[in-house]
Amino acid sequence: MAGKSFFIDTTRCTACRGCQIACKNWNQNGASMTKNTGSHQNPPDLDAQTYKLVRFSESVDKNGKLAWYFFADQCRHCIEPPCKDAIEAYVEGAVIHDEKTGAVVYTDKTREANFDEVKDSCPYNIPRLSEDGRIVKCTMCFDRVSAGLLPACVKVCPTGAMNFGDREEIMAMANKRLEVVKAKFPNAQLLDADEIRTIYLVVDDPKAYHDFAIASAASGIGRKLAMRRMTKPASRALRAMLPG
Amino acid sequence: MKLTRRDFLKISGAATAGLALSGMGFDLRPVHAFSMELRTKDAKESPTICCYCAVGCGIICHTSTQTGQVVYTEGDADHPINGGSLCAKGAAAYQIAQNDRRITKVLYRAPNASEWEEKSWDWTLKEIAKRVKKSRDASFTAKNEKGLVVNRCDGIVSVGSAALDNEECWTYQAMLRALGLVYIEHQARI
Amino acid sequence: MTNHWIDIANSDCILIMGSNAAENHPISFRWVTKAQLAGTPVIHVDPRFTRTSAKADIYAPIRSGTDIAFLGGMIKYIIDNNKYFKEYIANYTNGAFIVGDKFSFKDGLFSGYDAEKRKYDQSTWAFKMEANGMPAVDKTLEDPRCVFQLLKTHYARYDLDTVSSITGTPKDDLLKVYETYAATGVPDKAGTIMYAMGWTQHTVGVQNIRCMAIIQLLLGNMGAAGGGVNALRGESNVQGSTDHGLLFHILPGYLPTPAASLQTLAEYNKKYTPTSNDPLSANWWQNRPKYVASLLKSMYGDAATPENEFCYSWLPKVEDGKTYSWLDLFDSMYQKQFSGFLCWGQNPACSGANADKNRDAMANLDWMVVVNLFENETASFWKGPGVDPKQIKTEVFFLPCAAYMEKEGSITNSGRWGQWRYKAQEPPGEALPDGDIIIELFNEIRALYKEDKEATFPDPVLNLKWDYISNGKFDAHSVAKAINGYFTKDVTIQDKQYKKGDLVPSFALLQDDGSTSSGNWLYCQSYTADGNNMARREKDDPTGLGLYSKWSWCWPVNRRIIYNRASVDLKGNPWNPKKPVIQWVVEDGKGKWTGDVPDGGWPPLQNADGTANDKSKLPFIMKPAGVASIFGNGAKDGPFPEHYEPLECPVEKNPLSAQLTNPVAAVYGTARDIIKTCDPRFPFVGTTYRVTEHWQTGVLTRWLPWLLEAEPQLFVEMSEQLARMKGINNGDMAIVESPRGKLEAVAIVTKRLQPFTVLGQEVHLVGLPWHYGWTWPPDGGDSANLLTPAVGDPNTRIPETKAFMVNVSKKEV
Repeated sequence: MAGKSFFIDTTRCTACRGCQIACKNWNQNGASMTKNTGSHQNPPDLDAQTYKLVRFSESVDKNGKLAWYFFADQCRHCIEPPCKDAIEAYVEGAVIHDEKTGAVVYTDKTREANFDEVKDSCPYNIPRLSEDGRIVKCTMCFDRVSAGLLPACVKVCPTGAMNFGDREEIMAMANKRLEVVKAKFPNAQLLDADEIRTIYLVVDDPKAYHDFAIASAASGIGRKLAMRRMTKPASRALRAMLPG
Repeated sequence: MKLTRRDFLKISGAATAGLALSGMGFDLRPVHAFSMELRTKDAKESPTICCYCAVGCGIICHTSTQTGQVVYTEGDADHPINGGSLCAKGAAAYQIAQNDRRITKVLYRAPNASEWEEKSWDWTLKEIAKRVKKSRDASFTAKNEKGLVVNRCDGIVSVGSAALDNEECWTYQAMLRALGLVYIEHQARI
Repeated sequence: MTNHWIDIANSDCILIMGSNAAENHPISFRWVTKAQLAGTPVIHVDPRFTRTSAKADIYAPIRSGTDIAFLGGMIKYIIDNNKYFKEYIANYTNGAFIVGDKFSFKDGLFSGYDAEKRKYDQSTWAFKMEANGMPAVDKTLEDPRCVFQLLKTHYARYDLDTVSSITGTPKDDLLKVYETYAATGVPDKAGTIMYAMGWTQHTVGVQNIRCMAIIQLLLGNMGAAGGGVNALRGESNVQGSTDHGLLFHILPGYLPTPAASLQTLAEYNKKYTPTSNDPLSANWWQNRPKYVASLLKSMYGDAATPENEFCYSWLPKVEDGKTYSWLDLFDSMYQKQFSGFLCWGQNPACSGANADKNRDAMANLDWMVVVNLFENETASFWKGPGVDPKQIKTEVFFLPCAAYMEKEGSITNSGRWGQWRYKAQEPPGEALPDGDIIIELFNEIRALYKEDKEATFPDPVLNLKWDYISNGKFDAHSVAKAINGYFTKDVTIQDKQYKKGDLVPSFALLQDDGSTSSGNWLYCQSYTADGNNMARREKDDPTGLGLYSKWSWCWPVNRRIIYNRASVDLKGNPWNPKKPVIQWVVEDGKGKWTGDVPDGGWPPLQNADGTANDKSKLPFIMKPAGVASIFGNGAKDGPFPEHYEPLECPVEKNPLSAQLTNPVAAVYGTARDIIKTCDPRFPFVGTTYRVTEHWQTGVLTRWLPWLLEAEPQLFVEMSEQLARMKGINNGDMAIVESPRGKLEAVAIVTKRLQPFTVLGQEVHLVGLPWHYGWTWPPDGGDSANLLTPAVGDPNTRIPETKAFMVNVSKKEV
């Protein structure tokens, strides 16, 4: 499989939130007047101005050892993006699924889609509705990537938690790192690596990091997506005809 | 209308490769992100060093050649310490450069007043100079109680600043010591 | 930092204690992580489990204010288990020196204590001197009066049980830290310490750092790659502003501020120029007269002549024995002793300990000048909470200044790198670069002194060299050159000719006769005939150690790791051959140092055949004896660090001695200076800190929407146990109160804080960031320094803001 991928090594993330801010800086997204809700995670969730959010979760293992997990949440850029089907059920051409990189990029035409259905279609709870009616999320900085630059969140990362590159190299990097980390953390795993282009390495139950760290059974790549695929043969056939 | 990749590139003006369109009727004023590349394309790059902690990370400011304004900031990839990376604060450098809450006029608060007034630099510096001279001359100690020459100004004090450049620090301390100040302090001790 | 940021990657063990590096110096973790991936253990010792702890291999909790107990236990462990580097101690430290008979230590007090004056007579801590004027030594380290043996005796009391009962650190955790760190005592390994305000802001701040320095010397970690004592400084140019003497006690280049008793330059030089009878001691400060003369030449130009002692009499003199520190300054301001206040790029209404005292103090001024980018609590103190502007007479001038990308100049990072910054845009509106404000302000002042023939002592004002303007603007290059220094006449030094007006190539060429100027001798070489060295951007790294010697420039003389002559054995071979900072290489019978710029070019102490080389010098060239101080008889509170409780503490006794708190800590006596120890109304330990997303009082970062969104409000972190006891739920508003002030804060109830068991009792600790203030944002809260006490370390007078006592309750709605 060609294209690009992210590798997010959560063992190296210090939650400095450089990525959260660099994303806003590149995308010229603003900020909300938030409140502290008893957590350092803020804004509390992804929103129309926050495509990248560092999630903070405390966890105690059965030996009583405390861990503080950081999960730099963002769009997974699915290999088969269910959101694209959900959007294009309403408006054709509203989503660019870039062949070269694999980036899933929403256009302004997403205004015409049904946001609730799009959100439900995403197994990772990523898409958000902006005030002007567009559906928005991480673009894989595909404008930067196309110009030979790294995505803003990757470039800014001090510790090597955020990585980006050709799919094969990233998979090799992820698997190699997994082997190393497993020596200390037997439960270490890569999350949904075959389905998506944003591959997380975690050392514990993914739910200890974030409810949507792995594809949620309630939506997404499961039954619902299969249904959609069946009901949307036209768009898939059309895509196959386009030049690459 | 069916767009080919070549058509798209021509229209968007992006010097890029690899974008293929998967839909029909693609809107060409479209994705917010498309305009971003243009933001730094012709900008002038100026290296600087982050203003917060003392790691001393390199930052590149991109300045629009049209407006003279900083349009984007990012880590300096050549810098050996940070190698292009930044933390949340460093990554937010842009919002220091472009921030409508910056104070842009000299402000003056008169004794017992409830509001600031805007003033000119000329008026302000002259007024401050008068007060400095008055306080210094009134509080100047030429000799201490033991009769030793001390030549110091006991009535004016200064704090600041690790936020100044080295050249400003040096110049500032020279001014303070020429005036005879001895209460000279800054962030290093707190 | 003795070393520098990239060098952390060379370490064999990284101890992070007294700092929260991942949060407050996040890019340091680029290098911490690199070391960790290569197998280096990372240890974090902290009262809270933070983002740093989350990445550490070992985390050990510690009650705030008990670091000397913790580290003293490590000294005992190192000695008891023979983990120390004996050859290094014997040759490169004063461990072998014999201490004089007058020295003693009894039940928490060192010899020479005067209870009435709260002061020690340090002369009782002197070394025993031989007839040749050199200290008596026993290089076997066995003499019972040698420093090493006294050290062993001193810390014999710091056993695991006692230490654990003081610090609240479980014994297993203590042992794990001790074993892991002490493993760097072998010659070819080096451990590093990353500390910050968590160590300095205590009434035992200096001794916290001394204690770690002793450990680094016992283990032979000073001078080596991956070693050193590394202060993670908190402001981008706090190193530079310190170097340039914006402090009461030093002029630029660490030259002591002259005191009244030193009426002439000759007297000053006599007092501050150390001598050594040891031919092997470089005793670098013997050059001090050259640096003072050059500084005065740079300030007063042609007016400064040998005949008038370079205008030494124009320098203001402090009273002997009087301190003019931050705490003293605001104490005196509170007591109405000043009329004018210049507040440049600072926010003392939030940043100073016992901040409400500072806020009150400002009302006692006639006028103040505030220079900053955004509105802040200091500039607007007259309309702060509970203040009626009509009652405040103080005039305030707010001068808007340029941001860092709106001007040109250099700043110096923690690793001593002077780095040049360029201008990227004009300041907004009428804001001006600070340099222009300083120049223009002094021009106006000087004009008044020119006009007034009766003006008080106008000479220094009228004669200050002030020609730093090009095209009507402050010229940073012109000042940078003046700081570096010029030859003021044609001279020939060692057969080389220099012309009047040439930049001095290195501080080794500075003179005491007025033939050179230099605004700061330490920066001599920063801007030379080769150009602006601070602007260099070449990335060669021939040693592979990440020295990057052609990137920017660092003081002194571009030496990237100071005390590096201690990284080699007596023959000049690196203790760690895999990471040689410097190395003595002999080619064609001629020896030279390779690698980093050595601490002086003298040959090694021994020739290849093991005979002594009398042309050599000892490695710690800034110390008169040439060796590093395990026994530190210059500190005001004792030559060995001793555990004392914070002035506000949760315990009534100190199991190590009868002395509960530092007997010479700095205390103040106004009505605002209330200290409560073991007061049931304030039962919990409080501490303050920072988060990644804000900086200092938030004076900049609170105004940046992206950062404010991430950390919008004052919070107080507390354990689940304490929250349960107080009926506080996560996210509730809580009230935190100290004897000095009261705050409302959002409760973060977390497993990351745990109660400590101290002397058998459960002790709770809560913590708050000091980033907030009432001006912005609405509901953001106010400064945590409203709670902290204005008490200080006896050496530095830094306030004890890291350990004090508070109460916590739920805010009833």
